[in-house]
Amino acid sequence: MSDLATASYLAQADNETRLNKTLRPPFDVVHRFSAQSIIMTTIAAILLFVFLSPILLVVAVSFGEKIEGASWVWAFDPSNYARVFVGIGWPDEITLLYAYKLGYTLAYAVLGSLIAIAFAFPFTYFLSQCSRPVQAAWLVFILASLSMSEVFIVMGWDIMLSNRSGLPALFKATGVTEWLKETGWLAVLKDWGLANPRNVKFKTSQMATVLTMAYLVWPYAVILLYAPLSRIDRSMIEAARTMGAGSFTVMRTVIVPVVRIPVMGTLLLLFVYLLGAYVTVTYFAEPAHQTLPVSIYEAIRGATLNAPFGAAQAVVLLSTAGVFIFASLWLSRLAEKRGR
Amino acid sequence: MKAALKHGFMLICAAYISLPIVIVCLSALNGGRSMLFPPKDPTFARFWEFFVSEPVWLRSMENSIIVALASATLAVLITWPIAYDQWKRNTAFSRALTGLAGLPFALPPIVFGVGLSFLWTFVGGLGNIFTGILSHTALLAALPLVTISIGLQSIDRYHLDAAQTMGADEPTSLRTIILPQTLSYTLSGFFFVVVLSFHEFIVIFFVSASAYSTVTLQIFNSLRNGFTPTMAVGAITFLLVSIAVFSAVARYGDLPRLLGADPARKDN
Repeated sequence: MSDLATASYLAQADNETRLNKTLRPPFDVVHRFSAQSIIMTTIAAILLFVFLSPILLVVAVSFGEKIEGASWVWAFDPSNYARVFVGIGWPDEITLLYAYKLGYTLAYAVLGSLIAIAFAFPFTYFLSQCSRPVQAAWLVFILASLSMSEVFIVMGWDIMLSNRSGLPALFKATGVTEWLKETGWLAVLKDWGLANPRNVKFKTSQMATVLTMAYLVWPYAVILLYAPLSRIDRSMIEAARTMGAGSFTVMRTVIVPVVRIPVMGTLLLLFVYLLGAYVTVTYFAEPAHQTLPVSIYEAIRGATLNAPFGAAQAVVLLSTAGVFIFASLWLSRLAEKRGR
Repeated sequence: MKAALKHGFMLICAAYISLPIVIVCLSALNGGRSMLFPPKDPTFARFWEFFVSEPVWLRSMENSIIVALASATLAVLITWPIAYDQWKRNTAFSRALTGLAGLPFALPPIVFGVGLSFLWTFVGGLGNIFTGILSHTALLAALPLVTISIGLQSIDRYHLDAAQTMGADEPTSLRTIILPQTLSYTLSGFFFVVVLSFHEFIVIFFVSASAYSTVTLQIFNSLRNGFTPTMAVGAITFLLVSIAVFSAVARYGDLPRLLGADPARKDN
């Protein structure tokens, strides 16, 4: 065998070992694989324990049975659900107290999210047309207001709407109250629950509740609408403009069809978020117009102490939210399919 | 004309959003014990009360900071491997983990709070600050999960291919390419959790069981005696922290991109 052949043979052998090296998992890969699976298993366990089990527990506890004057025991007792919908005396009598609470919960959440979207949509559309640094500055502002706790926001609105300082005092000082009295509008406002014989009164009222809720989710609406609105193909708008379409026509024929589904998705997310609003309702709605979250708290930590009943109400709230979350997922799937 | 209308509308929205916040902040200057607007006998005494003379506020501030920083750290540590696994392998398992990690954030917080209070009652630890930290980790983990996933997707694939061609194995490219390139996204996720944990109320309300209080809880607990200007100092502090954090995110990361703007349209 010539030297050349030997060399080529050696090179080939060397290549083969190299090839083998890359094909066969070296020792450290095996080692790392197990480390990795340990990490992922640990994480899965944490997720199951802290992320998932609370939700399952709520469902399990909701079938428990309350013992008078004591705590409660595990059971399979659907009467808590019956109580939410038709009252504790069912089937002899029907009380709709909690059904009404559910109704108020839904009504506030629907109105609050609709009002928020109505103002957030044009705002976000204009925002997406600004230059990138301007957008970033606005986004800092929006995020900072978004992160304000419900407690702080209620505090601000409370000062603004309270009778001693805030809007009613302002109305009185500027003579608006007198004018309302003279023109008879004060009587109308009184019928709507927004005035007492002396002055306007915004606290407690359903209007204050809904408006504070809308305020609460307005920044969320902007953040959620920002992605779809800033991704609109600008050339389509310009093409429409070139062909003589006015702003309104552009909005109707180009923008709305593209963002219709994301807007619906945003609306649903805001709605689900508002279903759980607690501080606003305890503060701005009178007891007769309060919502499920308030009575959930009462049942679990507050005055009535009936954990299974509280859990049942939470499950009702959760299923309502669940139905809407699935609807929004389905809508975004639909949007993806259309986008392709 | 049209541009003026647009900007006018945006400014009105901004004013509407800032109004209650501004009012809360100005009320902190009240000299008396009640929240009046405009403030009466303006003074900075409330700041002294909040930060120095009334220990209950300082203690709750400390709790807020501990819960926020610890839960943000845990949330990042838990979601990083999930996001990485989902990006790298995209198996059914990783998709399930991703869904599970985002689940609590998508529910009405009160329901999750109720569930957590049951969980900690059964396993013990209700009212312990550690369970408060775990609860916020679970509630807010969706945020770093999203920002880290966006970060991973924005990594230039050519860099990875180049590294691989030059013989880098997975840990090496993880260390030299993936971690540095996603750092700003990871930090953004971290700070989103910090800020939202600061302000979060209902879940910590349920799991703290009145054993300790964060600033938001302390404010809510003091509501029975009405709002006092000292609370407004808390609001100001938190607002300043939020603005500082988000400005830093905007300065060092691409905020519009994080929030889903089209990455290609950088120049407009």
